[in-house]
Amino acid sequence: MTETIQGAARTNDQQIESIHVSRFAPLKNVAITVVNLAVFFVIWELVARAEVINALFFPRATEMFAALFNGFADGTIWPQLSHSLTNFLIGLAISAVIGIPVGLLMGASRVADLILSPYVWAMTSLPRVALIPLLILIMGFGNSMQLTIIVLSAVFPIMVNCMAGVKTVEPSLVRAGEVFGASRPQIYLKVILPYTLPFVISGVNQGIARGLVGMLIGELLGGGGNGLGFLLDKAGEQFDAPMLYATLILLAVMSVGLVQAMRWLEQHAAPWRDISRA
Amino acid sequence: MGQVEAHSAPGAQRAVDDAVPEPALIEAAHVTAGYDNRREHTRLIALRDVSLQVRRGEFLAIVGPSGCGKTTFINLIAGFVKPIEGSVRVRGSEVTGPGADRAMVFQDYALLPWRTVERNIRFAMENRRGHVPKSEQAGRVAQALELVGLTGFEKSYPHELSGGMRQRVGIARALVTEPEILLMDEPFGAVDAMTREAMQAELEKIIAETRQTVVFITHSIDEAILLADRIVVISKRPGTIREVIDVDLPRPRFDEQADVQRSPRFGEIRSHLWSLLADEALGAKQEGASR
Repeated sequence: MTETIQGAARTNDQQIESIHVSRFAPLKNVAITVVNLAVFFVIWELVARAEVINALFFPRATEMFAALFNGFADGTIWPQLSHSLTNFLIGLAISAVIGIPVGLLMGASRVADLILSPYVWAMTSLPRVALIPLLILIMGFGNSMQLTIIVLSAVFPIMVNCMAGVKTVEPSLVRAGEVFGASRPQIYLKVILPYTLPFVISGVNQGIARGLVGMLIGELLGGGGNGLGFLLDKAGEQFDAPMLYATLILLAVMSVGLVQAMRWLEQHAAPWRDISRA
Repeated sequence: MGQVEAHSAPGAQRAVDDAVPEPALIEAAHVTAGYDNRREHTRLIALRDVSLQVRRGEFLAIVGPSGCGKTTFINLIAGFVKPIEGSVRVRGSEVTGPGADRAMVFQDYALLPWRTVERNIRFAMENRRGHVPKSEQAGRVAQALELVGLTGFEKSYPHELSGGMRQRVGIARALVTEPEILLMDEPFGAVDAMTREAMQAELEKIIAETRQTVVFITHSIDEAILLADRIVVISKRPGTIREVIDVDLPRPRFDEQADVQRSPRFGEIRSHLWSLLADEALGAKQEGASR
């Protein structure tokens, strides 16, 4: 290789230089969030104390925290929370186990797609609440009904995303697989599956969002006497606003936690994705 | 690259060697090819009655207007597309699908984004067909990377590299199994002009070393003249061979002393190609306007 070519090649290199970043930089974001939330709760407290809104609907932040603390202390919250969480995670796991392979199959096989897609799309678009009366009729009030509604809520977004992932695999990557000697199974394993991984994760993400809705409507309307939905229902009936808000906060924390966990997973499973799309 | 040379020693008489007539390595006979549109019950004919022979060790460039079936021709050789009529043969046997004797360099690089440079190159050696024993793979990767000037980038991911560097990885992946035939579908179409020139020079050097038979598609007339032993001009759709031009310029053509690009012969070939392609380009434009 001549000097000139070498030189031309080098100008293409992305030179990565290190820059100075304060050790406390990551803490800065945490600090901002803490201050932000603190301000939020202080304003809440002040507005409630001013009694602009009827205290029946809008308790003080401190009352809400007290309800949260007492609920955990006297054992009214934890069994319900763990019931919901367990149910939800089992439902999500079932949805993933069914949804991912079926979605991948629909993406890969035109016949499977043709046969399954009317049902999948109908179930994806149908509002979940509509199924509750039927499910109660079939399964009665109880755990299996609640679990079923979670699965029915989460499985279809997972399926649809996996299918879309397989269908959007870049044709030239599949061709490269063929050129470089990969058999059909090898192409699936080494090209299509890794390419689809981010789609699987965003499918599971949507599955989480929909599954949480499913979980709540199952608990609220299913009347099983269990779970965070039941806690909400009971607090509402007893005009126990602090408990109502405490449960809502718990739900918010739970969903944000799950979504953040998935986001973390997405970044670590497919670091190439954001950058290659940029 | 002793291994490479030993492997392709028969192709050593790469330049046009009329004294010993050798059977064509690639032979397309009266090939018509196209794509079916089943919904509209139509068939788009991309190539019509194309006959062409590619000699062992030859660098063949194919130029023509967009949509003239250049890519179809390379896909026929690669085995992605089957001819509607006629046949495509490699070493005398009919092409039925992709094979280890033919590697391809893609315009969009077609690197696996989740694999490092090294593992992208290994991809060509680890599959069912063209499998290379694991113990040999590391050495071959190192050789291929050296050949394309990317030593030291083994652990980089494609998204960390520039377009030109990604295509070097693409070339290294294609050469690592030492295929007889290298198919290149506008390999430098997506890199910037400066890099493009450097890459052309490097490709000439690499091929001089590895002595592959190359079928190279390009939009660029200059690129075709600078790289090819022969240039095939294809007319607009349905593509037919308009003319085959021998490029009798001395090699190496990127040598600064030789200054091939300023030689009168280069200019002659260039203006001849221009006149051929200008018709095609204008024709295509008129067709586009009337649509």
